[in-house]
Amino acid sequence: MSNLSKLFGGSSTTDPRKEGLPLFGLWGGSGDQNTQMNYRVFDSNFRVVSSPWAAVTSTTSNYRFGMLSDGSHAYAMNDHGTDFHSDLTTQGYSSWTNYQKSIYQVDQYPHCFHYTVSREGFPTWQSYHQFTSSFEYQVGWTKLNMVLPEGVRPRRTFTNRRHTMREFMGNSDCNCDYYNYSSHLVDPAVYNYATGTGYNEKNKMLVMIHSGDEGGNTSKSIHIFKSSVDLNATTRIKDFFDNLEWTEYFTDTWTNQNNKDWCVVVGNNCWVGFGLKQSNSKRYGVFDCNQKGVGVDTTGASRQWSTWQDFAGSTTTSYGATQGHQYYTKFQTTWDGTWGMIYSPYYYYGCGINAFAMSLENPRKFININQTKSSRVNPYIAWGRTGFHGGKSDNCDSEVWQTYAFAFDPKDSDHTVDTRVYKGSTSGEGAMPDNNSLVGGDFTNKTGVCSLDAMRTGLHGGTQTTNYPMLMGVNWWGSYGNADASYGGK
Amino acid sequence: MAIYYFTNAGEPCTPFEETGEDLMKKGLAIKATVPDGIESWRLSYDTAAKAVVVYAEGKDEEGAIAQKATDAAAQLVTDKEKTDADTAARLES
Repeated sequence: MSNLSKLFGGSSTTDPRKEGLPLFGLWGGSGDQNTQMNYRVFDSNFRVVSSPWAAVTSTTSNYRFGMLSDGSHAYAMNDHGTDFHSDLTTQGYSSWTNYQKSIYQVDQYPHCFHYTVSREGFPTWQSYHQFTSSFEYQVGWTKLNMVLPEGVRPRRTFTNRRHTMREFMGNSDCNCDYYNYSSHLVDPAVYNYATGTGYNEKNKMLVMIHSGDEGGNTSKSIHIFKSSVDLNATTRIKDFFDNLEWTEYFTDTWTNQNNKDWCVVVGNNCWVGFGLKQSNSKRYGVFDCNQKGVGVDTTGASRQWSTWQDFAGSTTTSYGATQGHQYYTKFQTTWDGTWGMIYSPYYYYGCGINAFAMSLENPRKFININQTKSSRVNPYIAWGRTGFHGGKSDNCDSEVWQTYAFAFDPKDSDHTVDTRVYKGSTSGEGAMPDNNSLVGGDFTNKTGVCSLDAMRTGLHGGTQTTNYPMLMGVNWWGSYGNADASYGGK
Repeated sequence: MAIYYFTNAGEPCTPFEETGEDLMKKGLAIKATVPDGIESWRLSYDTAAKAVVVYAEGKDEEGAIAQKATDAAAQLVTDKEKTDADTAARLES
């Protein structure tokens, strides 16, 4: 850890955590998810980077076979999935095998909800049998939302519940550190339930919400902890709190359907975005968490910028933590750490996207992201330098594989001007038009809605027949530098 | 009846006037009148016919979901038949 601390202290040496531009996996199977399967990992330029493998079987049983067939890594013989074309309208234990393409699958942490995938190209599924008791299913909502340097994803898993922070190894179920920070809370009104925590590594600032319960209680106490040491560089969580430079709080009453949905986004300018799924819609508000002084500005009203914003795009029936703690509102950032998004499905249990996308330099700059697909979907993941993609990928029989891709301007953090979003097209003429028009749009801060458009990737399946490609997150994007095929020379 | 704004591709965009009119000015939305009480996933705008289309029109949400399940199952059968036919054709060639 001393080496990490030295590196983060201003050395020009590349942070060892820094990864190359985002990769994604594409699981390909024949139309029955059986008889043939293939899995490849692509970089952000859509070039394959994984080692080749494939498997075939002559049965029609949907069982694991080939390289995935070993019983030690499976609960059931078909727990790798039997239904890649679900509309995700219903939920239930028996339908878990439908959920691999749900938007819930991927967040900013390198391990996915239902599976983990290596850069080399090997996916493995967490046993469905364990979901009812596993970390991600039960308490994934306690993970910290991290704002990190360029190319860095959370490599340590810190959680916050009640008045206790813990560290885990990935999303395993074993504690490896523990700290009760009760003695550092300064709000005389003690709320016992930590229900949303964000951390900004640049500022060494931790912001946490405490509520009256883990359900719908609206009483809130927000604590701001500013330390002189980086939480991610500490040996123990205690070290962060032992080196606090200042602690402040404010209280407020916030409408929320379920406190497990809260996401906290600590901006580089110390303005903090708080957002969550709220019934079929979402809410997002921004508060000034810069140092004000002891006992100063202890109400939400004294710190809030503008007003709470309800999601301004299209909504329909959709579900969050109220329907199950695993459906908590997710947070994800672009590779360069300049933009983030708080998101949840548009439709029922995982189709489409309703998101607030915000500048991580200045969370007051935000727009609404909208995509209304209601069947045969996929997760969204970080893509390229300052973007995200995913969400589409229907049956691509005789069709080039498509994705909803969009990108931001990494230098764009002024909330008084429109936000530019770059988009793609399903044709070359659409992507590179014979005119000077922008392919994308400029969207009004706070109320503007960017609806996503599909983009052709140039990738096609191995056979022209029914197939339901599945986009998967990858747990290590490779070291940053010229060994990365999509390295841009920066 | 209510106002709804659709994308230029005919997908639901927003029911909110402030946002919708802003997008209209930028050429990014189409304004249309839609029936009350229909969830947005069932709505689309046919840009050629210049008309709103309601999926499973005349049904309530539960009925529309049931229709969706029926349609998805039928599509799955069609997809599987296509796979089988493609495979058979390859084996014969």
